Amino acid sequence: MGNYLIKLRDVEVRYNNRNGGLVAITGINLTVSPGEVVGIVGRSGCGKTTLLKVIAGLVKPTRGEVIYNGSQDGGGFRGIGMLFQSPLLLPWRTVLRNILLPIELRGEDLDKYVGRALELMERMGLKGFEDSYPWELSGGMQQRVALCRALIHRPSLLLLDEPFGSLDAITREEMWVLLQGAISYENYTTILVTHDIREAVLLSDRVIVMGGRPGRIKAEIPIPFRRPRSLELQYSREFNDYIAEIRGLLGD
Amino acid sequence: MPYRVRSASSVLALLVVCTVWELAVRLLNVPRYILPAPSAIALTIVKYRDHLLLNLFDTLLTSTLGLALAAVFSLALSTVLAYSSSIREAIYPLLSGFNAIPRAALVPLLALWFGLGMVPRVLTAFLIAFFPILVPTLTAMVTIEKELWEMLVAFGATKAQILTKVAIPRATPYFLSSLHMGLTSAIVGSVIAEMVASDRGIGYVILSSTSRLDTPLAFSCLLLLALTTFAISKTLGLIERRVVRWAYRAGL
Repeated sequence: MGNYLIKLRDVEVRYNNRNGGLVAITGINLTVSPGEVVGIVGRSGCGKTTLLKVIAGLVKPTRGEVIYNGSQDGGGFRGIGMLFQSPLLLPWRTVLRNILLPIELRGEDLDKYVGRALELMERMGLKGFEDSYPWELSGGMQQRVALCRALIHRPSLLLLDEPFGSLDAITREEMWVLLQGAISYENYTTILVTHDIREAVLLSDRVIVMGGRPGRIKAEIPIPFRRPRSLELQYSREFNDYIAEIRGLLGD
Repeated sequence: MPYRVRSASSVLALLVVCTVWELAVRLLNVPRYILPAPSAIALTIVKYRDHLLLNLFDTLLTSTLGLALAAVFSLALSTVLAYSSSIREAIYPLLSGFNAIPRAALVPLLALWFGLGMVPRVLTAFLIAFFPILVPTLTAMVTIEKELWEMLVAFGATKAQILTKVAIPRATPYFLSSLHMGLTSAIVGSVIAEMVASDRGIGYVILSSTSRLDTPLAFSCLLLLALTTFAISKTLGLIERRVVRWAYRAGL
């Protein structure tokens, strides 16, 4: 495949601890195309977060290589947007200043991005909250602020690590719709790490199933439904066949 | 309790304490040089007001100078120590070791080096005050959550940016509240230095008055010191609430 955004070749990560080394993931080969949404599912401790950190350039692989859009150094990783389970907003900054943080860190002109920030906020249902403080908002709203922050600089790669794990089921479904809208609107290449199979199948073009110790890729399941997908899709027969297949791959 | 009721109840408690004290001294015929009655202390303050205020001003001047030095020094040092873990590992044990020296014991040396002027008093205040400010400030700077740190790095933040945009704002409420501890420490430092090596200041007045068995004057000094320290501490508290309102978001 010639056109790829990121490619992992035979990646292994070994964490050094007092008892020698612990291999977290091994033999990972993965290619992500531009505009693709890739879900990574697996049980706790299967190395899926480690894999995400390797892609983010936060962890250097002890073997193999990560090739980002053709360049082989990790320095090209500035164009990443990240969203974690916890919103990680800075309580001393207003919502708007939190959203603009990545711009500030890149030393770009903040004024140029205020308009975009307000537009993102409006799309996320946060209109009018720009001068509020994060702690004045509900958990779901805080996570939407964090999503705006992840998107403000139009990252070439959006990395999501269990992004909605701490939200209630209804809020989580709302976030799925908002996230899917945001991804489709600006065509973000996205990697979504989750242990929620339903979330992975609903949002991804392809689901990577990880398992074992050390963690390996056990299967890759293409999810052919056209995006954007409606929430009703989760009640369809085909959708649930995918869920059952992936659930089977994860074992007991 | 509403604020008015609360302050009324503490005024009442104060009145009760003073009345019991006054009655006990009068009924038990306690000599003035052992324990003066509150009324005697009040009269002494009025009688010697110029002398007392002059010396109180002196003590406050040296202790606030010492506190200001300690605040600036602690903030600068914690920033350096937070930035470089190798400098931190080299210097922090030295600082802890220095903190184990009773600073009061250094006053004669400081007087030997710097004479009997303001310098040894300011330095004693500084030396006692800086550690209680440094420790919480530094701790707040170096305990940024791992996820937040990783997110900032993924957004392309440099170490210096993490320090200025996250570590320092995060440490501000801890720094400001440590100034309360620093303030009382600095006053202790000034008073000790005045007792050991000075001919002015509240410490000197206490020392000379007790040597003449003028206990009411010594008590006047204690009362004035307590009142001014209380007032400065309250003012600091007000500034704190304004500057770092976000840190009191839970409303406790």
